[in-house]
Amino acid sequence: MLWKLLPVGLTYALLQVTLRFKDDSDLAKRLKDRDPRAMTDLYERYGRLAYSLIYRVVRNAGAAEDLVQETFLRVWNRVQSFDQTKGALGPWVLTVARNRAIDYLRSVDGKMSAGTLELDRLETPVMFSNFDDQALSMDRARVLKTAFEKLTPTQRQVIELAYFEGFRKPRWRSG
Amino acid sequence: MSSCQDFRDDFELYALGLLDAEEKAEIDAHLRTDCATCDAALKRALALNAMVMSMAPDVVPPSRVKWRVLSGVGVHRMSWGWLAAMAAACMLVVALWFSVQERSRAAELAQARHTLIQVSGQRDRLMQALSFLDDPSTLPVSFGKGKPLPPHGNVFVHSKLGVLLIASNLPPAAAGKVYEMWVIPKGGAPRPAGLFQSEAGGTAMHILSGPVDAATLGAIAVTLEPEAGSAAPTTTPIIVAPVAGL
Repeated sequence: MLWKLLPVGLTYALLQVTLRFKDDSDLAKRLKDRDPRAMTDLYERYGRLAYSLIYRVVRNAGAAEDLVQETFLRVWNRVQSFDQTKGALGPWVLTVARNRAIDYLRSVDGKMSAGTLELDRLETPVMFSNFDDQALSMDRARVLKTAFEKLTPTQRQVIELAYFEGFRKPRWRSG
Repeated sequence: MSSCQDFRDDFELYALGLLDAEEKAEIDAHLRTDCATCDAALKRALALNAMVMSMAPDVVPPSRVKWRVLSGVGVHRMSWGWLAAMAAACMLVVALWFSVQERSRAAELAQARHTLIQVSGQRDRLMQALSFLDDPSTLPVSFGKGKPLPPHGNVFVHSKLGVLLIASNLPPAAAGKVYEMWVIPKGGAPRPAGLFQSEAGGTAMHILSGPVDAATLGAIAVTLEPEAGSAAPTTTPIIVAPVAGL
């Protein structure tokens, strides 16, 4: 269940993530400038999160390593189109990581061609441009926390299936 | 025609790629109208999704993942440079150490060779001296006896072997000086008979090899001469051993 998956207190985790996501403009600029240290910093900041997310989805350490490498390579290759001033680097990296993992699962299930292009389009840098402060605000994190606390175990399982296993409706959609 | 309100609850699913084709196409079409409200809603959905994704159970990746990621984009491990520098430094130290060891061993070898040559020479000279002393035809002459000052010792004359000088209390020659032995024929001028130094303890042994005519020999003498030796004595003899009439 999702609530069992939390490594630390939910509020603390959300606030931490929110703060981290909002302070990436300098890092994004250095990535676009091809500063060799920038990739190291990007990995230091999001490597563990990406690995944890991917591992949660694929549940295979070897595949997770491959997919983390693919995730960061994809970010590196596409960062020139990223909006360094109002872009959201963290959400972009995690979305790429999640999509790579879901794509892997679908390829294992023989559904690669259908989902690959769709996921690819949903992780373009342009999608993560023009973020306002409200999108990543602590208020939203608090709202999210409150919402999660009100979920039933079944609802949490539905969310888990959607985010970490890529199940489509109607199986999970609460409606 | 759908309105913004119709899509409000679907953006998270849209961003996760979980809508069916028909619903996705409707949202795509609406977003292409540059609807600011829905664009902002989509951004919020992307942010919300990222926050949820970040709640995956924490797993520490192996350290090699970092280097795979960095090498994948052409950024090489910083520590390789340090490792290379350290390896080069270590190799340099090892090379220097071997060089020093080699030099030390070469010096030790040279010293050992020098010592061996010296010992070998001394052994030859001692063997030569013993051959003088063992031969009953050798004629011994003492010098310095009864004199108030040293040195003193013996001269051994052998008609075929030559002359052996053994002296005591003969102080080492001063710097730039050397002792020179002379063979003085009866009624003749002194002839050079070789250069030598005394040992630190004041002992000295010198051999003039080759036949000598004891019948015409008047005396054996030693003087202090310049380092290169002299053709004729330049100082007063320190040792005089008369051998005439042996």
